[in-house]
Amino acid sequence: MSDVVVEVEDVVTRFGAQTVHDGVSFTVRRGTLVALIGGSGTGKSVLLREMIGLQRPSAGRLRLFGTDMWAAPAAEVDAVRRRFGMMFQDGALFSSLTVAQNVAVPLREHTHIAPDTVDALVALRLHQAGLPADAGAKMPSELSGGMRKRAAIARAIALEPEILFLDEPTSGLDPITARGFDRMVRSLVDDLGLTVFLVTHDLDTLLGVVERLIVLSNGKVLADGTVPQVMAVDDPWVRDYFSVRRMGGEIPVHGS
Amino acid sequence: MLDAARTPSLPIRSMPETPWFTAEAVDAETRLRLAGAWRLSRLEALESACDTLELSGRTAVDGSALEQIDSAGALVLLRLLRRHGVEDPAWSGFSDAHERIVEQVRRHLDGVEAAPAPDGIRALAWFGRQSAQIGELLHGHLNFLGATVATLAETVLRPSRLRLRELTVQLEQTGLSAIPVVSLVTLLIGVVMAYLLGLQAEKYGANIFVVDGVAIGATREFAPIIVAVIVAGRSGASFTAQLGSMRLTEETDAIRTLGLAPMQVLVLPRVLALMLALPLLVFVGDVMSLLGAMAIAQPMLDIPPTAFLARLREQLPLRHVLVGLGKAPVFALVIAVIGARMGMTVGRDTRALGAATTSTVVQSIVAVILLDAAFAILLQALDL
Repeated sequence: MSDVVVEVEDVVTRFGAQTVHDGVSFTVRRGTLVALIGGSGTGKSVLLREMIGLQRPSAGRLRLFGTDMWAAPAAEVDAVRRRFGMMFQDGALFSSLTVAQNVAVPLREHTHIAPDTVDALVALRLHQAGLPADAGAKMPSELSGGMRKRAAIARAIALEPEILFLDEPTSGLDPITARGFDRMVRSLVDDLGLTVFLVTHDLDTLLGVVERLIVLSNGKVLADGTVPQVMAVDDPWVRDYFSVRRMGGEIPVHGS
Repeated sequence: MLDAARTPSLPIRSMPETPWFTAEAVDAETRLRLAGAWRLSRLEALESACDTLELSGRTAVDGSALEQIDSAGALVLLRLLRRHGVEDPAWSGFSDAHERIVEQVRRHLDGVEAAPAPDGIRALAWFGRQSAQIGELLHGHLNFLGATVATLAETVLRPSRLRLRELTVQLEQTGLSAIPVVSLVTLLIGVVMAYLLGLQAEKYGANIFVVDGVAIGATREFAPIIVAVIVAGRSGASFTAQLGSMRLTEETDAIRTLGLAPMQVLVLPRVLALMLALPLLVFVGDVMSLLGAMAIAQPMLDIPPTAFLARLREQLPLRHVLVGLGKAPVFALVIAVIGARMGMTVGRDTRALGAATTSTVVQSIVAVILLDAAFAILLQALDL
């Protein structure tokens, strides 16, 4: 099994005359928690959608597990889809199903596991996502924002994916809920050996749990490395981004 | 835990061998040696293999030959052990990563209490709940109607509060732009009525009576009902969708925090617009259905337009037309109140909005037909 699970190579994205990505390249190794940051309009979410095969890039290659998401035959791409999970920004839970039914959808669609095992697995997924057991019977509309995101994670990890993509996992959450969310994501990496790739604006997430940071700016990768490495980069946007914390003095960084 | 140097004694009974485990009974202890990949992708085969396994007494689990395990595999393993009453087996040989996964799932299972199965919904309970909901719904509509009338009274006292701009916009949307569809439908209804009546009347040589039938039927009953149904589908649904989406985006809350009343700003203009527009649309419907009947009367029944109009003057008392037009504002009030209320009270998610819009249309149409029946009885009693 190869150690590199995501390869992004010279990706170019244009919307009309506007170039969003102008040769973006990076790779992600198995078992790491990587964050993609960048100012508004730098195409973070677009890149994420291109990586998971929802939006076609104008040029370049995006490979997951060595499969080119935009050149491989449909059957091969489908097989890859079962090896990653995606959490959309607002959860994108199916509103006509209960939370437990939402989590069971991939299990019922893609496996022939016995119903009582499915129920046990759903309970396990809810637990892994940090939801109480009674949340399973609720409808998505009855959940708070933080719980909806956790339910979305539970659905995303239902099939035990190797990579988990998260789009703005902590946006709209209060700091305490957000930190709990960070810890849960970290435990998915540490305890289950998942690879997590997330797009975020949340500085606390970056400083708390992320191992590697990729900064997107002007259509290119501006910086790529550990948090201290990226903070040392001499660039006005990066300086501004981290300046809030510099003023505070102490910067706790994960793994240091 | 497992003593590798100890020579195993003969198995007491034969145990199955699968790609995932080998089990052997040594003395009073069962040794379960895990192997291969305990992964979700193989879970089905794994589970059926587990069904063949018999465990009893003390059990030791050896994970040294295990290649992969994920949390689904760990769940199956732990459930297997518990099913056989093995609560605390002796673990050995697990790598750190595998042990963490098993440990996490074990902690989860420890916390699980058998969730009570949801009660099956019994028919009588369901019936009761539905009836209570309908009662609540009607009560809410009545309440909303009262609030609308109160707002109207307030506006009559202070006419400057009326949102003229919103009223004209709504008049255009609910009235003017509904004219084409109302015209087309009522024209065709007129044609069909004249045709069907004509088939019967021809047999008796009573062609001219077709005019009486169409004139009274269309103006008193069909035009008001059909136009009201069209408007319920067009404007009632759009009231719910508009107000409901404003509620979803918190626009109605914004209106409230700016010190304005949603009833005044949003609801009253819509109710008034519909009450003004519907009688006018019914009048359009009257004219179009008579035109439709007139158009087919000449070729089918040899009644020229001049004879048709002359007969119309003689045989269509004004009261039938007025009854038809008089019902329209009542229908409009009901449609607008239902549409607006369903929009203003919609749940804050997109699915609820869709359901509320559908419900508005169904409720409005049922209400219009029930009201029409009530009118028929009432007017009969009043000899109108």
